[in-house]
Amino acid sequence: MNEKEKEKSNAGTLSIDAMDAQDVLEDAEPWEPIETKLVLWSFAVAIIALIIGLWLVPTSILH
Amino acid sequence: MTDLSNRKWYTGMLTQEDWWAVWLGLGFFFISLLNIWGIDLVGWVTYPTKWVFHVPEGGKGAISHAFYALGKKYSLTAKGFYSKLGWWSVIWTYVIFGIATTIGAICMKWDIKRFVAGWTIIYFLTIATWFVGHHAFFAATKVNWHKYGLNFALSLGGGASFILALIVGLIIGNFFKGFANYLSEAAKPEWYIKTAIVYLGAKLGYLPIKLSGFSQKLGKVATKLTFELFIAGAAATVVAYMIFWPGIYVIARKIFKLPRKTAAVLGSGISICGVSAAVATGGAVRARPVVSIMVSALVVVWAVIELIILPGFFTHIWPGTKDPLVAGAAMGMSVKTDGADAAAGELLDIFLRNKVQVETNGQVVWPEGIITASAVMTKIWIDVFIGIWAFILAMVWVYKVERRPGEYVPPSEVWHRFPKFVIGYFVAWLVLLAIFFGPGHKGAPEGMALLKSVKAGVVPVEKGMRKLFFMLTFMSLGIITDFRKLKECQFGKMVWVYFVGLFLFIIPVAIIVAYIFHHGMQLPNIAQYVQ
Repeated sequence: MNEKEKEKSNAGTLSIDAMDAQDVLEDAEPWEPIETKLVLWSFAVAIIALIIGLWLVPTSILH
Repeated sequence: MTDLSNRKWYTGMLTQEDWWAVWLGLGFFFISLLNIWGIDLVGWVTYPTKWVFHVPEGGKGAISHAFYALGKKYSLTAKGFYSKLGWWSVIWTYVIFGIATTIGAICMKWDIKRFVAGWTIIYFLTIATWFVGHHAFFAATKVNWHKYGLNFALSLGGGASFILALIVGLIIGNFFKGFANYLSEAAKPEWYIKTAIVYLGAKLGYLPIKLSGFSQKLGKVATKLTFELFIAGAAATVVAYMIFWPGIYVIARKIFKLPRKTAAVLGSGISICGVSAAVATGGAVRARPVVSIMVSALVVVWAVIELIILPGFFTHIWPGTKDPLVAGAAMGMSVKTDGADAAAGELLDIFLRNKVQVETNGQVVWPEGIITASAVMTKIWIDVFIGIWAFILAMVWVYKVERRPGEYVPPSEVWHRFPKFVIGYFVAWLVLLAIFFGPGHKGAPEGMALLKSVKAGVVPVEKGMRKLFFMLTFMSLGIITDFRKLKECQFGKMVWVYFVGLFLFIIPVAIIVAYIFHHGMQLPNIAQYVQ
């Protein structure tokens, strides 16, 4: 599927081209620093939420 | 994500399943409240009771009484009329819900002929399985065997009906594909379960009213418990989701070498919030539609597998009756679709209540619905979170990952992604709480007359309608589930990501997080009042 066709199927309308599943599973892009940031920030938010939750939620194991 | 300018805040109110769950749910809920003024318009709702072919002398379980209108038992003003309905209540329920759902189907522009035919078949199949599942051999708990002349029964309670409905649905969906396709216009598990979840909101609000009927103190205990579930569910959801999503993303990208967008959609789909999250994230990161479709198919099939495995696991292996609300909350964070989660929560509720009753020889009886509520509460917070997360991902993708200059993501996207049925759930809950704390005087004697009239209306909703829609969900879920999809489609790799992600990462983390926030929460014992 060329770039133009890909862009067309990105628009949201289902077509036979859009149903071709191969190229959504292959050709993984190289890992980029922004992905590391996204992952680390998510974990950081989880840890902060955990600490706040442990402190604030009356049914947490801390209480 | 680009052209959203034509969407208003009210867009979809008459055309989306989500909104129609609100209309069906709150519509009947508010009609039920007319009981406050002595008008009972909901007592016709049909409900099954346990039965046997041969009723023992002095026992119970006649087939002629296997279905009755709930108004027979609970109505304050029309008991005589509803008592006469008996099995006819099945037809009343069919006609009234048939009309209500068909209006929804018309507004959503579905094929009406196929919907009415499908609804009719699915409804009566559901009633048939509900009936069979209430044979005392399946449903009677040990303490009641003698009443039905039995020496042994499976003691599954209402859970047998749910399992049977799922099995019948799966048989149709996997062995009678043409028939399943014909029924697909009315096989809408997400719609039915979202409606049932609105009724669950009514159940949650009704719990303090019900328990204050036993004693004022119990009513206060139930109120406190539901608020605690609300807060603990919120905290657990945020923590779990922010661990799940990046974890699955890394597994998909680093171990299974999937492309970025596919990994992002998989991350949301597997992490926690299923089909709607896969679709929302697919839209947010502009993945090709096939990605969301593939992930959605995986979510539905795996959710059914979880539904079969997890209630039994949490009941008999861990945590069992020691920590029932840890089990419920972990269920809510592990099972992906709303339908399968609420259904699994309901099964868990039945299994654990039966188990504790058997273990203590009837000395401990837990009120129905709180374990289900704990499973649904975490799921609802997750559903609320979908919109926010889709919005954040859209911004990250537009401004950072793909760097599209000049593109703008409107904050209103959060509202458009918001699961609207949640509004129905909270409205039903809060209205009943307001009645309990306001004119109900927190269950004090001066408020009891009003609370009894509320009970007469709400029970047919929170008990009859909720369970009927759960049954419809199980049946529909089975009908649309095709196990061959896992084989046929070209996504063997995604199946493995899902398997590894779910069983080795999501479920263990869900259990730990649920334990952190729900450990030690106790259900009230109502044995002395029930007996």
